[in-house]
Amino acid sequence: MLEISDLTVRYRTPVGEIEALTSIDVRAERGRTLALVGESGSGKSTVALAAMGLLPSESVVASGRIVFDGQELGALDEGARRKLRGSRLGLVFQDPFSVLNPSLTIGEQVGEGLVHHRGFTQAQAQARAVELLDEVGIVNPAAIAKAYPHELSGGMRQRALIAGALAPEPAVLILDEPTTALDVTIEAQILDLLEALRARRGLAMLFISHNLAVVHRIADEVAVLYAGQIVEQGRTRDVLTRPMHPYARGLLAAIPRFDDRRRRLAAIPGRLPDLRAPPAGCRFLARCPFAAPGCEAPQSLRSLDARAVRCVRANELRDTHWPRPQDPEQARGARNDAAAVVSIERLTKTFTLGRGWRFSGWRPRKEEIVLRPVDDVSLDIRPGEVVGLVGESGSGKTTLGRTILRLIEADCGEIRINGEVVSQRPQRNLEAMRRAAQIVFQNPDSSLNPRKTVGALLARPIERFGMAPRAEVPARVRALLERVRLPAHYANRYAHQMSGGEKQRVGIARALATEPRFIVCDEPVSALDVSVQAAIVNLLADLRDDLGVAFLFISHDISVVAHFADRIAVMNRGKLVELGEADQIMRAPRHPYTIKLLSAVPRLPAA
Amino acid sequence: MSDEARHSSDGEPPAPRRRRWSAQLKVGAALTAAILIASLLAPWIAPHPWDTISMRTRFLAPNATYWLGTDDYGRDVLSRMLMGGRLSIAMGVSATLVSLALGVPMGLAAGYFRGWIDEALMRFADVLMAIPAIMLGLLVLAVTPPALWKTALAIGFVYTPLIARITRSVTLSLANEEFIQAARARSESNAYILFREILPNAWPPLLVEASLRVTYAILLGAALSFLGLGAQPPSSDWGLMIAEARSFLDRAPWIALAPGLAMCLLVIGVNLLGDGARERLDPRIKAGVGKS
Repeated sequence: MLEISDLTVRYRTPVGEIEALTSIDVRAERGRTLALVGESGSGKSTVALAAMGLLPSESVVASGRIVFDGQELGALDEGARRKLRGSRLGLVFQDPFSVLNPSLTIGEQVGEGLVHHRGFTQAQAQARAVELLDEVGIVNPAAIAKAYPHELSGGMRQRALIAGALAPEPAVLILDEPTTALDVTIEAQILDLLEALRARRGLAMLFISHNLAVVHRIADEVAVLYAGQIVEQGRTRDVLTRPMHPYARGLLAAIPRFDDRRRRLAAIPGRLPDLRAPPAGCRFLARCPFAAPGCEAPQSLRSLDARAVRCVRANELRDTHWPRPQDPEQARGARNDAAAVVSIERLTKTFTLGRGWRFSGWRPRKEEIVLRPVDDVSLDIRPGEVVGLVGESGSGKTTLGRTILRLIEADCGEIRINGEVVSQRPQRNLEAMRRAAQIVFQNPDSSLNPRKTVGALLARPIERFGMAPRAEVPARVRALLERVRLPAHYANRYAHQMSGGEKQRVGIARALATEPRFIVCDEPVSALDVSVQAAIVNLLADLRDDLGVAFLFISHDISVVAHFADRIAVMNRGKLVELGEADQIMRAPRHPYTIKLLSAVPRLPAA
Repeated sequence: MSDEARHSSDGEPPAPRRRRWSAQLKVGAALTAAILIASLLAPWIAPHPWDTISMRTRFLAPNATYWLGTDDYGRDVLSRMLMGGRLSIAMGVSATLVSLALGVPMGLAAGYFRGWIDEALMRFADVLMAIPAIMLGLLVLAVTPPALWKTALAIGFVYTPLIARITRSVTLSLANEEFIQAARARSESNAYILFREILPNAWPPLLVEASLRVTYAILLGAALSFLGLGAQPPSSDWGLMIAEARSFLDRAPWIALAPGLAMCLLVIGVNLLGDGARERLDPRIKAGVGKS
């Protein structure tokens, strides 16, 4: 149906031309879903943009043919090509929040293409839009068609975007990370919807994602991309349960699993090759634990076990495993007897958004619109314990973490850190607490001051709290870098000279500089690729074991939390709905919300 | 664990290759540098004394001896233009420094503390902005004898709200960055957060704005001098030169043309330079491509 062959795309950048895709072949067939998976820099989104003819102007298509229904797009003139793309291919983007125009109604945006391409009248387009909104499972479609984007939730907007993509009756639907910005329960609904649409309309789907569990759920076939090349392609079941290419194995080994808790995760060392001059041989060579002579030769996709693998040693490696890191010698004893390092009681925080008129009976009354992101929360965290805090966006996780650290002031409730009540003290009197309790942030790009070197960033807390005499500060900084496993010369680097994982290590080192007893980790791995995420989670686990630091580990990703946390706290609309041992919560959740949340998480089969 | 994490620093990111200067930046820098250097070195490179009156050489058109001609007192226009540039540029720079010294702290405080501090400072800025510069100049200079430093002060005052507004908007976006939260989690003082965390990140747009302000200040200063509220004869700044040349526009247009052209070139040069510099000063744009 849609066939892309030998596609090579380069981007011109200020630092040179990089090769984003090298000779890619993919076919999307009627009624089937092909998933393109890979980490950032793999080139997966470029495939979607190329198929839609939406490549940015700094790109160069060096080679490749895109054939749709027997017609080669390159052979058509510009107008015919645009018409074909506009009517037979549909595209859904990742971010439902920025794609919709805020000043047009949903109905106008869904029916827009019909007016332009099909000559529908406004009224006909509107009527068709209502039908499409109904088809994508929106309740009361007639009312929603008249609504504006800001009145819709994220899930509803993504449904509306899918409806818009379906309007021209496309044969192929290209989905670029369609559920990445959504909560898991909404993600599950959108995946169900896509599944139903594919069956009903016989769509060919090209599904682009970094999330292997989601792909496992929806795709018939998977192509794993690495550094602009397909390294393995085959049936989803085969590739995701018995990967053959070393990179695919590493990727799967790095994912935390529900059933394999409390062990160190396998990470993939190193980073992508420089794509300005991609290596002639295997592009994964520098990071591959199975590298051998012969890998320097150019690799081609060869078929093996009903799939295609770009690895010359795939057959001889079929019985080996991706190396697992060593687990710490002895299992950590539970420290249930120790006094809590952090203890909060009945903590409540409200934000007043504004005032509005409400009717109570016949009389209008002015009422405050109040949001309560933290509502009567009590929680103890013991030394060396990891409490995982899960919940969907808007549940109040981040606000709770920051309120405990007095970065946001609570309305009422008590916070005790290291046995001291800190909730009533004035900000200038919090020195001891600030040393004992630190925070690691989500976004490595925003958490490090771009104008300071790593050395200056790490030295500041040491100097600020007088942790060491001035002469010893450089040695302390080196020790911190060693602690987070960065080489000492990184002290001279700026944030923009490091990768995401390295920046996050610096963020952790900065939190450790005050020798804290407790660290709030606010989505510390959400912005990272899985292979890097594994290394960071391992690092945090080492810190817990070696230093006895307690963590409040906030994440929307339940599998990471399940892997790392001793206890799990589930938040919903500011309330702590369930708190218990991680095993118990994962195996036998009690609260209906927890049950709903856990059942929505897509899972990979056991390896 | 240690093994594979040690590798995390393998494969250095490609060294950020310095990007070439854009044509815009080159032309801007060349123009600005030429005029600045010529003005600074005026006492040494001026071909003739700037203030020697000679009745025999009045109103000479540009020629081999007097490249830009002579004025109504027979003084060399080129020499006067160079010396006048010194005064005009010094005035523009000091006016801008005044507005930075006042406006940056105002903007930082307003953008970081928000609330009533923001309201108070920004409404004060609105009031300042409502006063036309020339009015303020007249006010200051009408009651006291005119002097160039007073002109600089008055102009600096008038430009303070503009600098404050820009600082405030940059601060507003920086205040939400996580590294500010990290500083608060160390109980850093407000002064430390404002001047050590926020200001170093705010200066690129400020520098660009300030460089443009210098040129506007020179123009405004010239206007005030033209009205007799700036430099006083016999010293010459560009505005005063034009004012003096006004009566002879029909006979000797070169007297007014020279300082006018110099001013134009400087304004164009600095504007090109500012726009070009804006892109280069952001450390994030200079980053390499090797992200993992």
